[in-house]
Amino acid sequence: MSGVTLNKVIKRYGDVQVIHGVDLEIIDGEFCVFVGPSGCGKSTLLRMVAGLEETSEGQINIGPRDVTRLDPSERGVAMVFQTYALYPHMSVEENMGFGLKMTGHPKEEIREKVAQASKILKLDEYLSRKPKALSGGQRQRVAIGRAIVRGPEVFLFDEPLSNLDAELRVEMRVEIARLHQEIGATMIYVTHDQVEAMTLADKIVVLRLGNIEQVGAPLELYRDPDNKFVAGFIGSPAMNFVEGTVSDAGVDVPGLAQTVQAAVSLPSKGSGVSVGLRPEHLLIDPAGDTHTVELTEALGGVSYAYLTAPTGEKLIVEERGDERSVTGAKVGLTFEPHRAYFFDATTEARLR
Amino acid sequence: MFPAPIEKRSDAAQAMYKSFLPIALFLWLAPLIAVAIFSIKPDADFTTGNYWGLPSTFEGAANYGKVFFESDMPRYLWNSVLITVPTVIGAVALSCMTGFALGVYRFKGNLLIFFMFVAGNFVPFQILMVPVRDLTEQIGLYNTKMGLVLFHVAFQTGFCTLFMRNFIRALPFELIEAARVEGIAEWRIFWYVVLPLMKPAIAALSVLIFTFIWNDYFWAVVLTQGPESQPVTAGITSFNAQYRAAFHLMSAGAIVAALPPVAMFFAMQKHFIAGLTLGAVK
Repeated sequence: MSGVTLNKVIKRYGDVQVIHGVDLEIIDGEFCVFVGPSGCGKSTLLRMVAGLEETSEGQINIGPRDVTRLDPSERGVAMVFQTYALYPHMSVEENMGFGLKMTGHPKEEIREKVAQASKILKLDEYLSRKPKALSGGQRQRVAIGRAIVRGPEVFLFDEPLSNLDAELRVEMRVEIARLHQEIGATMIYVTHDQVEAMTLADKIVVLRLGNIEQVGAPLELYRDPDNKFVAGFIGSPAMNFVEGTVSDAGVDVPGLAQTVQAAVSLPSKGSGVSVGLRPEHLLIDPAGDTHTVELTEALGGVSYAYLTAPTGEKLIVEERGDERSVTGAKVGLTFEPHRAYFFDATTEARLR
Repeated sequence: MFPAPIEKRSDAAQAMYKSFLPIALFLWLAPLIAVAIFSIKPDADFTTGNYWGLPSTFEGAANYGKVFFESDMPRYLWNSVLITVPTVIGAVALSCMTGFALGVYRFKGNLLIFFMFVAGNFVPFQILMVPVRDLTEQIGLYNTKMGLVLFHVAFQTGFCTLFMRNFIRALPFELIEAARVEGIAEWRIFWYVVLPLMKPAIAALSVLIFTFIWNDYFWAVVLTQGPESQPVTAGITSFNAQYRAAFHLMSAGAIVAALPPVAMFFAMQKHFIAGLTLGAVK
């Protein structure tokens, strides 16, 4: 077992640079999730670790070994693809044992390892079936099984659950988490689904346009985002942002119809600031009349109220309890001042 | 839906369709029907000028008997087999490999090489006729089955490569990447992962090439002469003596020669059509 270290890793396609010098340290046994909007380079970065994409500059280490120029086969990694990439002409058992067979392992050993993996993944009754005769979730389990049998140092997952329906996705997510606990190997997991990222990760890496925006534990990113992008990306529904201006008393926020006290070092008076508030930190004040309720989504335990501010800005508020707002009502908003996040309007960096 | 099904057209159109279709069918098949009837006529019918009438006597058994037992036809048929089968194997095997290389690997000149394979198909045979005949003469392959096989393989590999490369391109590339990550050597990926998935393409292409080569007349006439090397398409003409043509035997021979590709077509119809459309769509 070993960790993965990226050192100023750059990827170029011709003249176009898509990964701009990424530094990252993933320690042994860690579950690291790359997350970001599509086109942010998360899959490219994963494929560079796998060796399927050439690294233009920089260095990739797996454990103590420099693998930057090695072939994928020499890196000791196993990869699970979004499309499963099962060999359609082989049975489940052959699929899982194929890599070992091709690298000259004895039959007995292969059978033993396949049996072990199929037990972990509950695939015993499907061993003789072809992938065609399996459901999506079973196929994905076979793909994971194929990765397990080789006992790799690092597991790579490239959006493994994206092709599954919602219910199976939750089930497989739990399964992958369990697998990580059982095997304890280093895992790198790419997803655009932040729920997967939050629930699975020891460490989340938020990427945007080929740059790392922030690295940290899930709740750390949630509670203490470094910039507006991370604040907006992590959390569902997303954080509300309203524009404000620095004044003598704090930050004037017309979208909240109040002046917010800020315990952070604000820029000079008159400059613009984005104020971020999570939906669960906003409280609806039925006595007020500054915001209009456009729509409420009642999900049971919680409701989401979609509000329009006097400035036309949209806000989402989470409501719990028995009293829920109704569509069309005029309401006010309150919140605890220390819950507000402040971001520089131009650099989008967090003001602390 | 376009065109509208014939049942939904006017009565007049339906009547037209029903009367003209059999006529068109008859015209279309007329040469074949003529050959079939010729093959059961006695020799005398041709000397008395009874070309298009009914046979004066039924001589089918005698004519086909002569073709099989008193002529070189069996030899020509066997030559055809010895030319067609190695060509199919050679062209398909080569194109599996070229198709894999051109479909999977990115290297400088990939597209250029691919275009050369494709462009070869556009050179008319007639232009190549004289140089190829001279070439076979000089390397001592003129009038041998080997020469014919080699040239067929060379000419067919272009088309086959186009076909195979496009087929491999359409396979999910993740399969190859998955195998690479698993540490499988490239030639093993070709043999154990890609080749099994190419079975439908191999079947379709084999049927297609078999028909092409069996029916080839041009190169058979240009590169071979005589029963020791000529395939059946060229061999049929040996029924024509210097002063007279044995039309009844030629017809019987032609029917016999046409049977293997026709049988192949009906037995492997699915693959044949797959072959034509695979090449066209992708």
